[in-house]
Amino acid sequence: MLGFIATRIGYLIPVLIAVTLLTFLIASLLPGDLAHAMLGDQATPEAVEALRRDMGLDQPLWWRYLNWLVGIVQGDFGRSFRTGEPVLGAILARLPVSLELMLLAEVTALAISIPLAIHCAAHSGGPFDRVVTGIAFAKLSIPNFMAAILLIYLFAVELRWLPATGYVPFAEDGLGNVRAMVLPALTLALAEWPVLMRVLRSDMIAVLQEDYITMARAKGLKSRRILFVHALKPSSLTLITVAGINIGRLIGGAVIVESVFALPGIGRLLLGAIYTRDFMILQGVVLFVAAGFVIVNFLVDMLYAVLDPRIRHAHR
Amino acid sequence: MSRAVRFGVMLTGILMLALPLLGSGAAQAQKRGGSLTVGLELDIAGFDPLKVGVFDTSANMAAALLFDTLTSLDDKGEAQPKLALSWSHAEDYKTWTFKLRPGVKFHDGTVFDAQAVKFNIDRQKDPKNKCRCAFYIAFLKEVQAPDPLTAIFVLTDPSVNLPKIMAFASSNNVVQSPAAMQGRGDDYNRNPVGTGPFVLKSWTAGDRMVLEKNPNYWNEGRPYLDRVVLRPLPDSQARFASLEAGESDLIWDDEFDSDNILKAKKTPSLSVHQHVGSGASVYAINTKAPPFDDVRVRRALVMALDRPKWSQVLTNGLSRPATNPYGEGSWVKCKDDGALPFDLAKAQALLKDYGKPVKFKMLVTATPRGRANGQVLQQFWKLAGAEMEIEQVDQTAIVTRAFARQFELTPWRIVDLADPDPQMYANFRTGSPVALANYSNPELDRLLDHARVTADPEKRSEDYCAISRLINSEAIWFWGFQNTYYAIAKAKVKGLPKLHNGVIDVSPTWLE
Amino acid sequence: MRTGEAVAGSVVRNATEAWARLAAFGWLFGLALAWIAAIVIAAGSADLLPLPSPTDMDMLARREAPSFAHWLGTDRLGRDMLARLVYGARISLTVAILAPLIGLLIGGALGILAGYFRGGLETLVVGGVDVLLAFPPLVLALAVMAYLGQTLANLTYIIGILSIPAFTRVARAATLSVAKREFILAARAMGATELRILLRELLPNVILPLLAFFLLAVAVTIVVEGALSFLGLGVPPPAPSWGGMIGEGRESLETAPRIAFLPALFMFLTVLSFNIVGDTLRATTDPRQGAA
Repeated sequence: MLGFIATRIGYLIPVLIAVTLLTFLIASLLPGDLAHAMLGDQATPEAVEALRRDMGLDQPLWWRYLNWLVGIVQGDFGRSFRTGEPVLGAILARLPVSLELMLLAEVTALAISIPLAIHCAAHSGGPFDRVVTGIAFAKLSIPNFMAAILLIYLFAVELRWLPATGYVPFAEDGLGNVRAMVLPALTLALAEWPVLMRVLRSDMIAVLQEDYITMARAKGLKSRRILFVHALKPSSLTLITVAGINIGRLIGGAVIVESVFALPGIGRLLLGAIYTRDFMILQGVVLFVAAGFVIVNFLVDMLYAVLDPRIRHAHR
Repeated sequence: MSRAVRFGVMLTGILMLALPLLGSGAAQAQKRGGSLTVGLELDIAGFDPLKVGVFDTSANMAAALLFDTLTSLDDKGEAQPKLALSWSHAEDYKTWTFKLRPGVKFHDGTVFDAQAVKFNIDRQKDPKNKCRCAFYIAFLKEVQAPDPLTAIFVLTDPSVNLPKIMAFASSNNVVQSPAAMQGRGDDYNRNPVGTGPFVLKSWTAGDRMVLEKNPNYWNEGRPYLDRVVLRPLPDSQARFASLEAGESDLIWDDEFDSDNILKAKKTPSLSVHQHVGSGASVYAINTKAPPFDDVRVRRALVMALDRPKWSQVLTNGLSRPATNPYGEGSWVKCKDDGALPFDLAKAQALLKDYGKPVKFKMLVTATPRGRANGQVLQQFWKLAGAEMEIEQVDQTAIVTRAFARQFELTPWRIVDLADPDPQMYANFRTGSPVALANYSNPELDRLLDHARVTADPEKRSEDYCAISRLINSEAIWFWGFQNTYYAIAKAKVKGLPKLHNGVIDVSPTWLE
Repeated sequence: MRTGEAVAGSVVRNATEAWARLAAFGWLFGLALAWIAAIVIAAGSADLLPLPSPTDMDMLARREAPSFAHWLGTDRLGRDMLARLVYGARISLTVAILAPLIGLLIGGALGILAGYFRGGLETLVVGGVDVLLAFPPLVLALAVMAYLGQTLANLTYIIGILSIPAFTRVARAATLSVAKREFILAARAMGATELRILLRELLPNVILPLLAFFLLAVAVTIVVEGALSFLGLGVPPPAPSWGGMIGEGRESLETAPRIAFLPALFMFLTVLSFNIVGDTLRATTDPRQGAA
């Protein structure tokens, strides 16, 4: 087991370093002349030179990268060009919103997909199965932004049950917070559930055909017990993996959903940074998101290994 | 005394006390207390002029609450005392002496005095600080503070309407606490300290800014509100929806959101506040960039514009076409401003006369409003025979590119100010960093200089009208629509002053 | 004459066989193919159809309901909806086919080489793919469009590049399973060069799953381009794009929801069709995954 963990960590570190390198390169090469852009109307040649020296832009790329990396490791992600606030502070301030959205979305998606998958697997091939699978397949063809518009139209414009956009912190108004999060979380959940359902369903169908299930049936065990106790657990491995990866991806800030529903999360922070060319924020947030994804994937791998002994004993 | 008489005396006494309270009219109708939630358009970056340069509309609104300026404008547009009690000027209008209000403190307890005013201006003008705001007070040579309650503004050029101009809650005019600016360094930007009616309580970026009543405000009895919450809601649909749903009590809006404005006008529980200011939404042409070095091309573009249709398409007819930089809201009235008429045939002829194909790029803001406006202009010019390509950039990038003259055609704005001089001079005088058109004309310079030093409003009006004729004839800038500023509020929000300079100042409001 | 009859007979027989084979895939598959064909033909012949210009604004006829002048009505700026839908199809399809092509060529090549030669190359490629997949793709695309210029070319390039990791994975997986088979070992034993094996033995067997994935990638690209245009950073205005039309229709949801829903419907049907066709092909070439 320890050997397994060591191997995976040995793989994780280079990937993380590569992520920092790529982030830095992208943020440095995209904008063209940064000092010139920052100075705007005050951009005399001397001023540009002075600012470049100030910001260390005249140093070679590798020196600037290492400098930045050292800062990152110490927790200093730099300061926003626009507002001067620390980048890490800006990220941490928005993180709760994105986290809440992500958790609500994932929980809703699981709540939809698990019962459906179980029922479909149990009656595989039947009318219910065909209809649900068809709906899942069709839903895959509806992009996030389209689903968001449809939901807003239905629930906010026509029925007026829920607010179209906006966010209320939970501490301020619990009910308002939940009401504001319903449509965004639902939009994301609707995007996630088809994949989760298909994965669980196909795994369960495979498991239900195993010998030990047949034996359990022959022994006279109730269908429900077979389904939930004997079949669900081994089938859920892939589901957990996919759900975990999804969570990692959603940390990236559901940019579209946050934008449409005006939620002050990490996705909106990124979008704003792109529009205002605030490269410090852009660099810091992209790193945070990418590194977060890699680390969550790593944890999911560990979890998978814990749950499935075959993995940790297999040799690469 | 009998019981009846005693009762009568008591009743009379009570009535004598009560009647004045009952009989006092509107002056006592303001209700104290309550919280007002305002929906802004843009998120505020900060308040330190050295960091943000110029305040945008949303920042102006917040600045009107956190800070004070030396003067304020009343409903007639006349300057009234605020932090300054009185003022006088020298003959040549180059020196203005302000007597300041005593006993005013900043939110951090430090004293407001002439030294504080001087510190603010010096800091903005200091070349070491490279403040983008410095340009806008280039006309101000220095501020002298001979004693704590006297601030003398020494100008390089005369300014007839200085007190009116200083009422605008801009990054130059608001007085911020020197102690706080020095003490907090980089963190000051998000932790501003002023003398205003509200104090910053908390600020979550992108979400909300909570301001609380200043208990030590120099204007006793004000403000009426206990709390103001500012929420940036860039999406106009979201902003209006928050008002309808009751989450916001007042929102900023503009004519592009005409569907909702018209809807609000028909809704009894909402009131639409409107102010036609001077100035307009305008466009600057870079006359050094071909094909714009040829006046025929420039004239053709302007004559291809069908403003009534343009207004219909974008704002359901709410926007008012502008033919000069001053507008109906200005005291400058011109019989003939030299505006080029809408004449598509003439525009086509001019381009044919030019001979070469006309292709160029125009900057637009990367917003639905910017894109739609750009596409309408694209269509107009296509009909005339010119090909325009849209280049989407962020609002801040427009400012940067404009200053660096990295554009062929760019949108700009002439803001509602009490006097046309600051902006006209800045935008058109040879040598000014904001003379965006890269155009130099000695007659234009002469008119601008003359208008600046003349005191007589009629003579100045003549000058400005001549300037308008010149600009229109050369077509170096052109005008879209006059500035109409909007605020939509719940009917229970009372006491909102006129939207001077496009700033929604909620500090004197109360809730019924 | 007999030849003629024979030819006619064989044509009929071939057509019947083809039809039978298609029918075996299901009526849904047929419908999907029909829709794709219709859209492609309409997009391709857009200039020949009697449509008004998609960018001309009939400024006094904004948000109009369907009429003789405008079969599907007009949008907020008075432009004909039908024309914009058809021209939008052309742009969406162009990007949707060209971008994954980049992914297919580059990603496919990388994946095949990694899966065939194994060893250090494979570790490098797999590691690189993992790193690339960690970055939020939408954000990268937005950044490129915002800073390097909003052009159709940039849009195609960045979406194409972002699709490379997925194609690499699919190509590598397919290669791994094929490379173990006997005919590859036999070819090597007979002394064939690696290049020859790659091109003549491996490629034909790997191409089918790659093609199936390509169709799925087309569907995804339509969505990604739609998302970027929805945010305003995709297809440069005034060129119509379904995603852009949905974004523009957002402010008219209360007054004229049709402006957002028509492009949404078209996009949905097109993406669904590509998904159906791609998924069916994938099911036939890779039975293990055909659990749908």
